[in-house]
Amino acid sequence: MNPLTALIADDEEAPRAQLRAALAKAWPELGVVAECVNGVDAWDAFLEHEPAVCFLDIRMPGLSGIEVAQRIDGRVPVVFVTAHGDHALAAFDAGAVDYVLKPVDPERLGQAVARARARLAQPGPAAAQAPGVAELLARLAAEVGHQARRPAALEVIQAGVGKEVRLIRIDEVIYFESDARYTRVVHEGGEALIRTPLKELLAQLDAQRFWQVHRSVIVNHRHISAAVRVDEGNMHLTLRDRPEKLPVSRHFQGLFKGQ
Amino acid sequence: MSSRAERIDWSQLWYPGPKHVFSEAELDRAGRDLPSRTLVAVLLANIALMAMALLQAAPPELTARLTALLAGLVAAGMTQGLALWKRPTRSGLAKRGALLVGLFWLLYFGISLRLTDPVQRRWIVSLCAGGLFLVNIGLWFVVSFRAHQIESRLRERDEHDRALAMAHQLAAAQIQPHFLFNSLAALQHWVQVKDDRAAPLLDALTGFLRATLPLFDQRLLRLGDEAEAAQRYLAVMRLRLGERLRAQVQIDPAAADTLIPPGVLLTLVENAVEHGVQPSLHGAEVAVTARRQGQVLTIEVSDTGVGLPASAGASEGVGLANSRTRLQQAFGPAASLSLQPGPSGGCLARVHIPLQT
Repeated sequence: MNPLTALIADDEEAPRAQLRAALAKAWPELGVVAECVNGVDAWDAFLEHEPAVCFLDIRMPGLSGIEVAQRIDGRVPVVFVTAHGDHALAAFDAGAVDYVLKPVDPERLGQAVARARARLAQPGPAAAQAPGVAELLARLAAEVGHQARRPAALEVIQAGVGKEVRLIRIDEVIYFESDARYTRVVHEGGEALIRTPLKELLAQLDAQRFWQVHRSVIVNHRHISAAVRVDEGNMHLTLRDRPEKLPVSRHFQGLFKGQ
Repeated sequence: MSSRAERIDWSQLWYPGPKHVFSEAELDRAGRDLPSRTLVAVLLANIALMAMALLQAAPPELTARLTALLAGLVAAGMTQGLALWKRPTRSGLAKRGALLVGLFWLLYFGISLRLTDPVQRRWIVSLCAGGLFLVNIGLWFVVSFRAHQIESRLRERDEHDRALAMAHQLAAAQIQPHFLFNSLAALQHWVQVKDDRAAPLLDALTGFLRATLPLFDQRLLRLGDEAEAAQRYLAVMRLRLGERLRAQVQIDPAAADTLIPPGVLLTLVENAVEHGVQPSLHGAEVAVTARRQGQVLTIEVSDTGVGLPASAGASEGVGLANSRTRLQQAFGPAASLSLQPGPSGGCLARVHIPLQT
C-alpha cells in the first residue's frame, strides 16, 4: 500500500475537481490514484488501488458513500464530502471517519487532512482505534437511506446465448466472475456471459446471499463448501457442485474465520 | 350521510344537550374563556327590565317576597349557567334540571300553600313555575351554545394547525438544502477556475430562486409559470450533471393558462431528477408534458431512471402526499396524482385534474 495515495469519489464533476484542487494545496504529497463518479466504481477502485485514504461523497449512484465506507470497514481513513450536514454526521468528529461540508472550506479540509495524517502515522488498521464507527455508519445509512431510491434487487438475469436470450433466476447462480469486458455467470444449468460489469451487479445483489470474495468474484454462499488457507496471504474457496477453486483476496479473508 | 343527518335523536327529548363530553385537553385548547362582559351586562339589563315590569304589575303587598324570589332565581340561574359554561355537558344540564324541578315543589309546598289569598298564591306559583322554566331553558341554551362554540373553535384550530404544518413542509420542500449547496459548490469551483459554465449556472440558479421564492405565497398559479421554474431547475441540474441528465418539457398552450396549486409540477420534476436520474449509474431522461383536453388537465413527468422501489406505496414522501392533498383541496376528490412504473423502466408520475366550469 502506497502510504500517500487517495481515492476521490463524487458523482458531479465540479465538486470532484474542486476537491482535487483543494487537496493539492492542503496535502501536496498526496497522490490521487482514482477519481470515481459513483459508488460502485469507488469500491472497485479501492480494491484495485488500495489507496491510503478515501474522500467520498455520500449521495452517489450504485452504492452510497456510506455503503462504500462500510465495505472499507475501517481499513483506511474515510472522509465524507457532503453538501448537507445530515445530523448523524456530527458524531464523526475524529474517528476513522471524518467529514467535510461542500462547498469545501480549505480550513476545515486542512483539519480533516491533519487528522487523517495522524491516523496514518499510527500503526494498525484505523478501525482498531475507533470502536463504534460501524454503528455510527449504520445509523447514518438509516438516516440518509430512506431518502434514496436505489435500483431494485435483481431477480432474473437475461443472458444472450447465440440467438436466444436465457433467463437465469438469481438463486440458481453459483458465482459471478468478471472476464475482460463481460461478466461470466456460472449457474446450476451452465454458464453465460452478460455485459453488465461485475461492480454494477454488486449494487443489485443481496449482500446476505452473494458474497464478494475478490475484486472479480462474487459467490452465492450456499454453494461454498470450504475456505482453504494456502499460506499466509492466500486463500481459496472450494464449491459444492463445481470442481474449480475461487480465489479469496486479502480484503475478504476476514469473512472466513472459523470458530 | 344524509340518512345519518335525518335520523331523529329521540334521546334529546328526555336527555337534552350535547352528546360529546369535552376532554380536559380540548377544554384547555378552546374552552377556558369566561362569558364576555357584554353578554353578562346585556343579560342582567334584560332581567332587570323584566323584573321591573313584573313588579309594577304585581300587587304591592307582594313586592318584597317577589323581589327576594326573583333575586334568588337570578343568582341560581347565573351561578349554574356559569358552571355549565365552563363544562357544557348534558349530564350537568340534567342534574340541574332535576334540582330545579325539586326546588319548584319545595317552593310550592313551602310558601304558596301557606298563603290564603288566592291572588297572591297565583302570583307566587306562576312566578316560581315561569321563573324556573325560564332558568331551565336558559341553561339548556347555555350548554348548546357553548358546546357548539367550543366545537367550532376546536375545528378552526385543527384546520389552522394543519395549514401551518403544510406551510412548514412547503417552505422546507421549496428549496432543498442539498440542491442549493451542491449548486453553490459547483458554482464556486467554476468561478475559481474560470470555467465557462459559471455564468449560465449562476443565471439558471438565480432564475430558479426568483421563480421559486414567491411560488408558495399564492394559492393558485399558472401552470406555465410553474413550468418556467421547473425549466430553470432542469437547467441547473443539466449543467451540474452534464450528460447524465437529458430533459425535455412540453406544455400545451391550452394547458399553460390553467391555474393549479403551486409546487405540484416542481415537486414531481425534482423527484424525477433526485430519485430517478441521480441514483442511476448511467444517467436518464426526464420528460415533462402537460395537455388539456376539454375540461381535463393531464400532467405527466416520466423518467427512465432507477424506477420505483419494490415497496412503492409505503415510501412515498411528504412532498407527494402534500401535493395530492392540495390538488384535492383545489379541485375536489376527482383530482388524482399517481406514481407507476414507466413504460420503459423508470417511473411515471401522472396528475389528472377534471376542471369545474
